[in-house]
Amino acid sequence: MNKIETKAFVQEKFAEYYKLNSASIDPPSSLVNREFAFLLFKERMMLRHKGFENAEDFRTLLKTVVPSDVYYSSAHYEKPEEEMEAKGWLGADLVFDIDADHISTPCGKQHDTWVCNNCGETGRGTHPEKCPKCKGQKFDDKSWPCEKCLESTKREATKLFDFLTKDFGLSPQEMTVAFSGHRGYHVHVENEVVQTLDQVARKEIVDYIVGVGLEPKFHGFEEDRASTLEEAGWRGRIATGMYEFLRNTSAEQFKKIGLKKSVTNLISQRDKILESWKSRRPWRPDSVGSESWKKIVQKAIENQSVRIDTVVTTDIHRLIRLTNTLHGKTGLKKIQVSASDIERFDPLKDAVAFKEGRVSLVVFEAPEFRLGDERYGSYRNMKVELPTAAALFLLCKGAAQVQEEH
Amino acid sequence: MEKKLFLTRSDLAKYPFIPEAGKYIESLEVKIDELANADLEPILTRAEARVEDAILSNTTGKPSHQDDVEISSFPIAVMMVAASANSHIKRRYALAEAKRVSTLLEDETEEKIVAVARNFNWDIKAVKFNVGSLTFDFALYFPYFLRNAANIQDEKWKLANRLMLKGEVYITKNEASRLLQEEVRRYIEGKLNIEVRALPQNVMERVERLKRLFTEMRGKIQTEEIPKEVMIDAFPPCIRELRKSALAGRHISHVGRFTLTSFLINSGMTVENVIECFRSASDFNERMTRYQVEHIAGGRGSRTKYIPPKCDTLRTHGVCPGMDENCSRIRHPLTYYKRKLRTMKTAAETPTVPRE
Repeated sequence: MNKIETKAFVQEKFAEYYKLNSASIDPPSSLVNREFAFLLFKERMMLRHKGFENAEDFRTLLKTVVPSDVYYSSAHYEKPEEEMEAKGWLGADLVFDIDADHISTPCGKQHDTWVCNNCGETGRGTHPEKCPKCKGQKFDDKSWPCEKCLESTKREATKLFDFLTKDFGLSPQEMTVAFSGHRGYHVHVENEVVQTLDQVARKEIVDYIVGVGLEPKFHGFEEDRASTLEEAGWRGRIATGMYEFLRNTSAEQFKKIGLKKSVTNLISQRDKILESWKSRRPWRPDSVGSESWKKIVQKAIENQSVRIDTVVTTDIHRLIRLTNTLHGKTGLKKIQVSASDIERFDPLKDAVAFKEGRVSLVVFEAPEFRLGDERYGSYRNMKVELPTAAALFLLCKGAAQVQEEH
Repeated sequence: MEKKLFLTRSDLAKYPFIPEAGKYIESLEVKIDELANADLEPILTRAEARVEDAILSNTTGKPSHQDDVEISSFPIAVMMVAASANSHIKRRYALAEAKRVSTLLEDETEEKIVAVARNFNWDIKAVKFNVGSLTFDFALYFPYFLRNAANIQDEKWKLANRLMLKGEVYITKNEASRLLQEEVRRYIEGKLNIEVRALPQNVMERVERLKRLFTEMRGKIQTEEIPKEVMIDAFPPCIRELRKSALAGRHISHVGRFTLTSFLINSGMTVENVIECFRSASDFNERMTRYQVEHIAGGRGSRTKYIPPKCDTLRTHGVCPGMDENCSRIRHPLTYYKRKLRTMKTAAETPTVPRE
């Protein structure tokens, strides 16, 4: 089968999914005020500015058009079908996107590959600044969702949820957390007052969560002062970050953040320092210089802050993937996770949309991956027969094509 | 809900924008058409003084001893400023009124501040809260804090530098007054943008006089001209980095591309030359790039010419590569450029003195 036919095959599978599941796909709240957008399979074009009066019309479109990706606006508009300037912005949900692209993960992204546009040299991980062979600086990247990447994004999502509940006072009822279907999580906030905030105000929310422009002195951290572990807001977060960093860090890692003479003192007095943080006032030994201390404070802020995509949250016209629809790059579905359940949530199992059938295909190249309870690959120019979900995953990634049946 | 606080008539004179003042003014039955009446003269005079002082000294003049005059002069002043149809006068007047309010609030009780704030639907409560060496007087729901603090340019107003717990930002009395100043300023600016129907002759004369006063006061406006020639040496670090990446064909984030394009356009570079900068990108598409560059240059669709984001925003999105010595004095990449051009020009014009 050639490329076109593979695409048609994927769309056929998506059509089956939408035929069977459209009843469980709920349009967002305030349906009539939302703009919808659909990425079309064949044309690779975005069908935008669509509006719907009711859920049934929406579901009918899903079943007849069968798009590769389904989006809706975080914004609420008076007239969602009009051109951008004439839509009449009424407000927008507050949205957060956590994506493995924005996080350095323990796997080192070894599953990702790059190709130099100039000489064709290939490599693993995030592409280098310059091609080692021809010094070219243009690359094509292929990214994979892996378990470690997804674990990292899950941790970030949990941290974000903690910020939003404890610091921002949002209730779990106002928030939904969802696995995006690819490499990360979305957190969606629907709150009447927050909805009206403009970009400038949202930027401030982002800065709070990412720790941009944060000055430790405003949170009780100065030369000889520090806040305590149980304090609220960033005061307690920095303290906790310092405590954890002091507790878990090796001499080697201390040196990495630029500490020199203080390292031996920190290691030898570690227990005493930690004890003081737990029981009394935080204590800094005189033998640890204030410059070293500042570096530890900075590290604490870095560790406590959340890696979110800053652009998504500040954009008040953003399009967001709709829950329970399929991701065109994986064939997995975007799926809601209850915050209390997130630890147990397994994206590579729970987001599987296709549970039946097998498909024969030729895989060009794919690293080892897991889907459901099975591991697959790695593959290189191989014919294989795989369960539909795994096959679609590779097809959507462009790593395989469907094998013609004889 | 707590018990409703009674606001006295002198409170209404101080805070004439609150709904109760509006009701009171209605009860006085001052009609626009009657403004020509001689017995309403004191109100008109006070209204004019409010605006005049705003123009001259950013204040609103000495309040009238008669509360009725003081209260009614506010809506009349608003009407006069709206009739001036001059955005500079509007901004100046709104700011002067807001500052007046803020100063007065600093001396009010917590209860009264809460009463004024709730007029703007603020979710605020008086508290006594000590943390470290700090004492806070109010807890304010964060969206109301953001709406007013996000435009104040000082690090202590950044949400990231505040104590926030369960959605409440802790603030002092002075800070509450300062935030209310922003709220009042916006509120009055909104009032000034209404369409005013014909005013009586004697009122219009006063409006014309105020407009003349403003023009005299403002004098010659000095606009900083950006020279035709684009001076790459005067670019700020962020733009230099972005341009280098673009020329090398490295990937640039969406914000980065927008920043670079809008900066170059505003520095006077032609659309053609801006497009050339992006030619090395691996996903370069001339038609798309042209469309986007022309859009940013104001040649398409909305017809707005865009300017690059502020330094602060560039930091949020990780576009800022770190400041150089000139960055600490500016908040916008274009300001950096204008200043640097100026110093470069001065340096070039200063004759070198031979060393003795």
